[in-house]
This record gives sequence, structure tokens and C-alpha cells, in this order.
Amino acid sequence: MRERLRAMVPSVVPIVLSLVGCFLAVVVLRGWSVAFDAFGAMFAGAFGDWPKFVDQGNAGLVLRPLGEAGNKAAILTLTGLSVAVAFRVGLFNIGAQGQLTVGALAAAVVGAKVDLPAVVHLPLCLLAAAVAGAGWAALPAVLKTTRGVHEVISTIMMNWIAVSLVENWLVVGPLKASASGVNSISGTDQIAASAELPRLFEGGSRLNAGLVLAVLAALVVWAFFGRLTRGFGWRVVGLNPEAARAAGVEVGQVVVQAMLVAGALAGVAGAVLVLGTEQKYPTTLGAPYGFDGIAMALLGQGDALGVLVTSLVFGALRAGGTRLQLFGVHKSFPELIQGFALLLVAARLVWERLARRLLPDREPKHG
Amino acid sequence: MIELAHLTKQFGGVTALDDVSLRIDAGERLALVGENGAGKSSLMNVLYGLYQPDSGTISFDGVPTRLRTPAAALARGVGMVHQHFTLVPTLSVAENVVLGHEPRRGLGLDLSRARTEVAATCASLGFELDPRALVSSLTVGSQQKVEIVKALHRGVKTLVLDEPTAVLTPQEATELFAVTRTLSERGLTVILISHKLKEVLTFATRIAVMRRGRKVTEVSPQGTTPEALAEAMIGRAAPVGSHAPATPGPVVLSLHQVCSQGLVDVSLELRAGEILGIAGVDGNGQRELTEVVTGLRPFTSGVLTVAGQRVDRLDPARARALGVAHVPEDRLRRALVADLTVEENVSLGRHTQPPFAKGPRIDFAGRRARTLELVNANDVRPPTPTLRGGALSGGNQQKLVVARELDAKPKLLVVNQPTRGLDIAAVEAVRERLRAQRLEGCGVLLVSLDLDEVLALADRLVVFARGRAVATFERATFDERLIGQHMLGVAHA
Repeated sequence: MRERLRAMVPSVVPIVLSLVGCFLAVVVLRGWSVAFDAFGAMFAGAFGDWPKFVDQGNAGLVLRPLGEAGNKAAILTLTGLSVAVAFRVGLFNIGAQGQLTVGALAAAVVGAKVDLPAVVHLPLCLLAAAVAGAGWAALPAVLKTTRGVHEVISTIMMNWIAVSLVENWLVVGPLKASASGVNSISGTDQIAASAELPRLFEGGSRLNAGLVLAVLAALVVWAFFGRLTRGFGWRVVGLNPEAARAAGVEVGQVVVQAMLVAGALAGVAGAVLVLGTEQKYPTTLGAPYGFDGIAMALLGQGDALGVLVTSLVFGALRAGGTRLQLFGVHKSFPELIQGFALLLVAARLVWERLARRLLPDREPKHG
Repeated sequence: MIELAHLTKQFGGVTALDDVSLRIDAGERLALVGENGAGKSSLMNVLYGLYQPDSGTISFDGVPTRLRTPAAALARGVGMVHQHFTLVPTLSVAENVVLGHEPRRGLGLDLSRARTEVAATCASLGFELDPRALVSSLTVGSQQKVEIVKALHRGVKTLVLDEPTAVLTPQEATELFAVTRTLSERGLTVILISHKLKEVLTFATRIAVMRRGRKVTEVSPQGTTPEALAEAMIGRAAPVGSHAPATPGPVVLSLHQVCSQGLVDVSLELRAGEILGIAGVDGNGQRELTEVVTGLRPFTSGVLTVAGQRVDRLDPARARALGVAHVPEDRLRRALVADLTVEENVSLGRHTQPPFAKGPRIDFAGRRARTLELVNANDVRPPTPTLRGGALSGGNQQKLVVARELDAKPKLLVVNQPTRGLDIAAVEAVRERLRAQRLEGCGVLLVSLDLDEVLALADRLVVFARGRAVATFERATFDERLIGQHMLGVAHA
């Protein structure tokens, strides 16, 4: 237990410090009252306006913000897991953004062009997105194992190819929505109702099943690395590939498989965005969820449950961020908080030392 | 004269140094002996300013001094050559030597002056080192000389050598001691950390023995024997291995004209129940041999038969399945993962089989039980399954690796440098396991750079030179001098 708590310090301290630091920045610029109001509104938008709910008894005051938070958290979790899975086997998947982009497009196309009952249609869309994402990650993986091309370089290049291909050509060209639609004609066709991720609650909240999917994915990844022998082999590859090889683990295969899983997870994140929130591939995806995934993986220390928790926190802050505008604070403030936290996480050694001081070792060092 | 008085140092709950007092006279050759973890290195790290003692004082010529950093120690004339070198391989000898106190010209490095100065230092020591040579191009023995030059170039008066011969060939070790003896006769104080008693007895003028953080005795080399020293180090009489005659069984490994990168037409045969020793100077194909046999390196031609099966291609998983176990020379590179726990490391390689797995799942209870069994039976200390592998001392890491590999009940055991860097008790424990394995009918392929080790353990011995198996000796005809000549390629067979 002590070990677990200590392991959390390097994630928790940077997030808290960053929150406090950003709060103080607003205090300096705008004064105490604006800072309190703005952060109050952000937290109300993030975790629900509990005081007002207690006063008025209107459940929507809590459910609506939490729903928005959950929807954002679902996507962050999936891209975070994508980066984290690769990270655990010693790979840097900077390509989650590209994998998410092609995954989102695949989901949008299958969602709009295919006519099937919901029980088949929705899973098919998710599968298409997973395959597309995995396919996008396959090339870097194969290049890495056969030619030694570093995955950081190749996945970054694949990001640009994905964005150019999808947003600069397909979505404005061959896959552009037909003008007959009632809705706006930007982006691709609306997906069929049978492809939509169902909402979890009637009325108040827009929370959709994407969060369930993300939580399940986190649990599966967690169990895989912690409970299964195959996951153990993957971890050894990440910690010491040479020892893994000597122990009979096929390092090249593991690298390819891990990249495919990472790509699939990012692809599914794209599907959740399209099938849950956007209902089509819009002109542009807007937020760089793939890159946010890198932040989630690092803040969560590559641990599946860590990624889930960090994503829930930052998903909520993102959702609450829009309310900051009411107080003249830019809505991208949560991203600033995330960025600072990430910067502070880099000072890992400092937090580990702090953790040792706060929770001293009971076990003597041997050597 | 340096005086260490009542030094105590604790790490967590473990006492590394317990009220240690030691006098170091100018110009003497003091040897510090003791097992791993006895406190030799801790004591020297205190003297070198790397650790701060919890209590006690260090005095230089009677003046109590606090050494907060190695720089402070250097200023007092104390230099240290670590077991693992601290050189930059991509820089030249001269650049490495002046690193940290470079002669300058304007804002730049005055490289030509550095070269002349370093060349002068080398000449005064009688070292044949080219100041322009890249460190990465030097042999291990020469790199060590660079370390010594580095220390002396800074005007060090007391030189600490931490296990200097652990990485050297016998010839290089002899040379090192000859040079150091000369330096000592010119007034340099030398402190030698070692657990090779032979070299300590021939080199030192005084020997201090440490055990469990305490200095237990001081002796002069004339007044003691290797047996008495060993007893003082481990607190009881050292066990001496016996060598029962071999009863060879079927062939478990045969190579016929096998070639690979680093191996040329190697043919040899190993039977169950015998130990085949491979002797040679470092880098003559021994490592390549162990890698080919364990499936880590592909062979390009020839016939390889492992456990009665001819194999055209071998990978590590296949080798394990055939009954090959491997104790590689570099524990932390290939055998252990520092960031995994002891029990995870025990399961490594067999993590998909019982008792470490139940179907696709990790069998946590089975793994814990087998780990406890192994660490207790093999005296791995501390016997804590959840400890990080990297937190174990080198000797205990090696005991763990040997225990794990033997637990797989191998038909063929490939060991490379099994006792490098271990203390007497651990060395004997590991060797005893190898002998026991042989009696149980396992074939053991033993590679060691320590010729004494090969001579002590092997039933047969093959000498490797330039990737070839150049000579074979039976135990009855072991001839150290002749073997040495074959190793150096000067024998006329």
C-alpha cells in the first residue's frame, strides 16, 4: 500500500502544483475574486455544481457537467492507453493523433454508408476504426523491426500524412457530405442512428457509452500487463529487450503487436469521438486528442489505471474550461494546467525523493 | 598520513560501516580485503568524499577534515580508480585525462598542450599510451592505465584501486602490479581493494580485513596464509572444492566446423556429466560460442547438435525447450532485469510454464512459493521476493540467476564468467553448484577468463584463440604454461 501511495506522488504533486500555479497566475493578472469565480465555475463545469444542486434539487446541474467530462475523459483515456501500451514495451507512439484521425474517418464512413441493425452496426464501426488505427501504426512498427527506423520519426510523419489525406482531401473531396442533408454540409455524411454510441442517461446528461468502453479498455490493459504471462513478457521487452530475447521472448513480434494494439486503441478513440459526439467526421477534429494522449500516458506513468484517473481529471477540467470564458479567462486554460503538470512531471527525480521523504522506507536497502 | 577514526555509516537500517578506524601511512601498499558487502567500498567512498559518514573523523596529517565531494578528496591528494571505468569512449586519451581541469587557450581547449602534458605523464610512468588514441579503441587493460594516468595527472598522492584486476587478463594484471609497485617505491600511497588473496599477498605491505562493516584484523603478508585470510574474511574456514572423476554420458552438445561472426570452424563435443572449460584471452570467440549454443547468435555454417537433436536454426526459446540453460557473463544485460522484482526475475524465461503460470495467467502464489524455495535453498540475501532485482548485491544476483537456471533441470548448462566480481563465499557456492550439476548428469560448458577457475573445474579444456578452438587438454594433462602459450598464440603445437 505504501509502495502504491509512493508511486502516485510523482503524478499527483505535479497536477496539484500546476493547478495552484495557474490559479495564482490568474490571481496576479485578474485579482482574487475573478480567480475564485473563474476556478469555481471551472470546477462546477467539471465536476458538477453540487451546492446549487443541494439548494435546488435539479439533478441536471450535476449530471450535465459530469456527462461532458465523461465524454472528454473517454477519448483521453483511449489515446492515453494507446501511448501507454507502446510505452510499456519501450516505444514512443507519437502517432496516436494520426491513428485517431484515420480511426475517426473509418467510423464515420462505415457509420454513414452501411445500413445495418444497431447490434451489428455499432460494433462494426468500432472494429473498422480499430483496424484503421492499427493499420496506420503497422507501417512504423514494421519499419522499426525490419529496418530499424525509429518509431518517433515514422509515427510523426504518419500523423502528417493522416491529417493531409483525411482533412485536406477526403473530407473536403470524395467523402464530402451530399448537399441534400438537412444539417450543415461541412464534413462527411451524418452517421446512421444505428451507429451512434448510445447515451447512458435520459435527458440531462449527454454521457455516452464511450466512457464504458474506455473504462473497459483500461481494465483490460491493466489486467493484461499485471495478470497475464504474455503481458509480463511485454513488460520485460520494455525494461530490457536483451534480457527478454535471452528469455525466449520474440522481441520483434512484441514490438509489432504492441504498436498494432496502440494504433487500434487510438483508432477507437477516433470512433468514440465520431460516434458519440460529432455524428460525422467534421471539417477538422479540433482538439489534438492524440497528442493529449502522450500527456495522459506520462502523467499516468504508463499505468492503465493511472491513465484512466488522469484522463478523468483532465477530461473534467477541459469540460469545465469553457465556463472560464464567462470571466474573461481563456477556455484553453485547462490545457495550460495540463502543460504545466507535464513539465513538472519531467522533474521525476525530485518527486521520487519527496515521496521517499513523505513515506519513508521501512525496508532497509541491501547491497 | 591519513587517519580514519571511528567511522560509522548506515544506509536505511543497514550498517555499512561500524566504528571503523584505519591508519594509512604515506608510501605504503595497503590491501583492503573482505567479502562483498563487508564495507570495503563504503569505506573508500567515504575517503573519496562520495559518502558522508554518520559519525567519525578523517584526518590528513593530523588535521581533521570533512570531505564533502570527490573534488575535496582530490584536493587532498586522494584519487580513485573505480572498478567500472569513468572514461568517455569517444574522446581521446589526452582529452579524458584532462577532462575537468583542461588547459585553456582563450576560451578553447589547448589540445596540443594537453597532449604534451599527458604524454609526459605517461612517459614518467612508463606507460605506452598514445595520447591521441580514442579510448574506445583501447583494450580494457589500457583503459585502466588511462584511469591511473588521470588520477596521477592531478597530483594524487594516495591512489585507491577498486578491484583493479577483475577485468584484466593474467598478463595485464601482472603488468599492473609491476607498475603500481614502482609508483609505490617512488612514494605513492596505494590502497588496493580486492578479494583475490594471491595478489593481495604478493603485492601489499599491510593487509586490513573487513567483515560485516567492521575491521576485524590487520596483518602483514609475511605473517599470514591465504587460508588464514579467507577465514578472517568469512568468519570460518573456507570450503575447498573437491573434484570427483567424471562419468561422461551421452553427448549433449556437439559442434562440427561451426562458423559464425567471430567463430571459425569450431568443432567440439561435450558429454553429460562433464565440465568442458573454454580458456582464452577476452574477445577470442568465447562469447560468440556461448551465444551460438544458446540461440542468441545465428551460425552461418557447420553442424550444431544440442541434446541429441541436430538444429539448423536455433533461437533462445528453442534452446530452452531443448534443455539449455544459460548464465551469461553480464547479469544485468541478459539475465536479470533490475526493475523487476526478485520473484519476477525468477520466473523470467519460464514465465509461461507452471509453477509460474496457470494457463495464460500469472500464478502469483506458485511464483511466490517457488521463489521462496529457491532463495532459501541458495542463500540469496535478503530472501525477499518483492525486492527489486537491482537492489540485490552482485553476488546475490548471480546466486539468483544460477539458482533459476538450474531450477529448469537443464541437460546443457552454458555459463560464462560465472564468478566474476563475487566474493570467496559466493564463488565457492557457485562453483559447488556447477560441480553438483555435473554429478547429476548435466553437461556444463564453462567459459571463464580466469584460468584458475577453468583449471579448478573443468574435466577437459579447449583453448580459444582468434575464434578458433586451437588446443584441447584433458584434466590429467593440464599444463598452465602450455595453455597460456596457446591462449597468446605463441605455442608451437
